[in-house]
Amino acid sequence: MNDEPVGEVAIERGVEVSASPEDVWERITNSTLISDWMDGEVTIDPEPGGRITFLPAGGPEVWGTVEEVIVNQRIQWSWRSDEGRPSLIEFELAPGSDEETTVVTVRETLLPWRISGPDGITEWPEASLRSFTAVNAA
Amino acid sequence: MDIPHRVFSALGDPTRLKVLTTLASAGPATATELAAKMPITRQAVAKHLSALSAAGLVNRESIGREVRYQFDASPLEELASWASDATNTWDRRLERLRKSVE
Repeated sequence: MNDEPVGEVAIERGVEVSASPEDVWERITNSTLISDWMDGEVTIDPEPGGRITFLPAGGPEVWGTVEEVIVNQRIQWSWRSDEGRPSLIEFELAPGSDEETTVVTVRETLLPWRISGPDGITEWPEASLRSFTAVNAA
Repeated sequence: MDIPHRVFSALGDPTRLKVLTTLASAGPATATELAAKMPITRQAVAKHLSALSAAGLVNRESIGREVRYQFDASPLEELASWASDATNTWDRRLERLRKSVE
């Protein structure tokens, strides 16, 4: 089964906001600002390999790793909780209908619980998507 | 692989999908009965049933020497439930983000 292609299970949502991409970027990548609208306490280090943690109001803690960063355009991280499935979160910012607005798109993709590499099965949460990729490319 | 990914792998093959939709519409059947309805061998049907079973999409039931297979929608319902929850959660968050900049 492990050699079969992994299907993709994902959802995508979007919103247009009255702010510049730079302003929206701050609201996603600054721990205090993102905590305001995520409805929980977020810490984020917006660098590839950086840590992200999220303690939702009333939910179990979620933690993970920032995977990809293009300042003011795109950030991607993978995370999971003890109970929930691992998933990949991608935010994309694009110019809106006028200069004062930004279209924010978020995509959440389910990740496998475990991925087989040359060294056997790698399980979450010991490794991030980044190290899976490295293992599988080796 | 965990169940959702097995589900999608299992549905990725057109013949396997046909085996599944036949079970879903015509009810429980043996591999031999399924093969009679399709232009593939019993062995090929058995292989597809094995993959569908690993994904939780079919259940096996032994009756005497016969094995009958039955469609099970619960893995699909589980995925639909995840997608629905995730959609609602991100809609709420994005709405708060939108309001926070105004």
